[in-house]
Amino acid sequence: MSGVKSPQGTSRIVQFVVGLIWLAGLMVAPASACFAADTSLDARIQQLSASINEHSADVLGLQEALQYPVNTRVTVFLSLETRDTLSLDSIELFLNDRPVASHLYTPRERDALAAGGVQQLYMGNLASGGQTLRAVITARSADKDFVRRESSLNFTKQAGELGLELKLSARAPAFEPRIDFVQWK
Amino acid sequence: MIRQHGQCARPGRFRHRGIGRRLLVLVMLLPGFASAESDLDRLHAGIVRYALDTGDLPRAVLMARTLTGDDAAFLRARVAYASGRRALAIQSFASLASGPQAQPRAALLLARARVAQGHPDAALPWFRQVAARGFGSARQEALYAIATQQRLAGDSEAAGRTLAAMEPGYWSALGYQNLATDYANNDHSSARALVALRVALAMVGAETDPSRARDLRDRLLLQAGYLSYRSNDFDKAVGFLSKVSLEGPVTPEALYFHGLALSAQGNQRAALQSWHRAKKFPLAYPGASDAWLGTGRGYDLAGYLGQAGEAYLAANAAFESEQVTLRKLTDTVRAQGAYEALVANAGASEGAWFLSGSGTLRQPRQAYLMAFLEDAGAQAAVARLATLVGLEARVSRERQDLGVLAAELRRAGRSGAPGLDRVTQALTRHSALLEDMTSALGALQKASGAELDRLALAFLGEQDRRMKVASDKTEQQIAHLYDYLALQALPEQAP
Repeated sequence: MSGVKSPQGTSRIVQFVVGLIWLAGLMVAPASACFAADTSLDARIQQLSASINEHSADVLGLQEALQYPVNTRVTVFLSLETRDTLSLDSIELFLNDRPVASHLYTPRERDALAAGGVQQLYMGNLASGGQTLRAVITARSADKDFVRRESSLNFTKQAGELGLELKLSARAPAFEPRIDFVQWK
Repeated sequence: MIRQHGQCARPGRFRHRGIGRRLLVLVMLLPGFASAESDLDRLHAGIVRYALDTGDLPRAVLMARTLTGDDAAFLRARVAYASGRRALAIQSFASLASGPQAQPRAALLLARARVAQGHPDAALPWFRQVAARGFGSARQEALYAIATQQRLAGDSEAAGRTLAAMEPGYWSALGYQNLATDYANNDHSSARALVALRVALAMVGAETDPSRARDLRDRLLLQAGYLSYRSNDFDKAVGFLSKVSLEGPVTPEALYFHGLALSAQGNQRAALQSWHRAKKFPLAYPGASDAWLGTGRGYDLAGYLGQAGEAYLAANAAFESEQVTLRKLTDTVRAQGAYEALVANAGASEGAWFLSGSGTLRQPRQAYLMAFLEDAGAQAAVARLATLVGLEARVSRERQDLGVLAAELRRAGRSGAPGLDRVTQALTRHSALLEDMTSALGALQKASGAELDRLALAFLGEQDRRMKVASDKTEQQIAHLYDYLALQALPEQAP
């Protein structure tokens, strides 16, 4: 991963991170104090679980903010445009011919995509300039064919956060898989 | 094809600016066309939905904080429920379900939550709302729940009418199965129960999920086979039971009754074949120990008394060996805890997931786990502990990650990077909080583990008692057989 950092950028990140941590601290501290309020085991588990989940979300936000500064951050999402005509088996993602992410789908993940879910497939850093994203998918189409498709996108990374969404579809009658790219700048 | 959307302004949010002013105006003028803002909402809502459905709660919680759009309130309520803030979630579901839009999906989740809290009566109005305004699987589930309430209130006719309004599939099949159980318990004749089971079998044929359809179908066939056998309709019983799949948790019981029906028809050879097949399953499954006893009985009825004696002796040895296994398992539960002994170790003997197949059912430990998990209380206890184990793993990983991060930042701080001290201090504070959470988790794990141990030990004790009874039965059969053989030999020895 190639990261571009400036002292000024780092300072902004630090302020953001400190703010995040302060907020997280506020949320976590009182939660642990009220465990004894409800003595039922399930209620206590739920209270602790709520505190941990909130805290984990803070930690996730903090890690992403630290590791992927806004100016260089690139995020790749994946969604299904036609929900019942493509059953995804795997995906491989290459940025400038360098493999950056691969995923084998479980039935649960396939169901989540088919229910309209959007998977955050990759988050990383990219320098400004011309880039190439390549995606290779293997899937089963609605007519039970096993298919492998490869698709590329040439794009220019500029300063600021960039999101790329891969939208997969396979329309009747041929159920030919297709990958559309959507850029979120 | 490449589509481009606007510019990002702050972390975690992609703000839309437009493709081109002219195109944007055209798009905005189209009635019902999704706005640029709703595209962004769709993306965020999709990420939350995927995270929720795949159990990635930290991401769901993080993304839900900034969620806007039509689905935001509903998804936030879902996130609250899944992450443990149940009271808040129930309040939100109620507000959405009773609001001007009266969302059936919120009503369904509210009804489920009420049932989970042990208040099925409070759930009924919400199920009725889903049945009236919902569609698809949600409506079927709601109708099933309504029929169940009617059935439990003793109004089988009303339950039947509700079930008649359902579409064929899993839920209606389950409803008719329950109705059949009521009929079988209340009626002298099994006619009504068998009719209900036949309807259930027709309904389950329309289920699209093959795994749950097969499981329910097997259970329906077993129930129908048993009822037919009880009514002395052995042909019908054999017909039902021979359709049960050979690789399911109810297979040994089905094979046992299949053998009984064949034996009652006088076909001892075929009966013995069924019982021999059932004997290949672990004794934890219902029907397996009966099949061992049945084999001896089959040889006895077929006139092979010597082989009958051997079969009873083999059964006795199997039961005694199983009692040893059960006592070892009980000792392991006492030493390591039920979660470790039954749940975590259950799959440990499997070589790899892709090798697992029918053999999975044949693992004794897995078999006991499956039998144990038939009970709702055991399911809740295991789920409780599984949640805590998952949380502990996550907290431990975060502690490790934050520790490394803090060490790296401290090192960077020494090189003079501005503001990093505050970050490292904050990270240390976070790590301290994680330590508190770890100790709280430990206390809850101990309490949940003790509850699970109690249930598991009671279950294993019951299994041990069952094996003891089976072992006693074989000893009685052996004694009876030897008495018979001795009596037969008496006239020959007479002078």
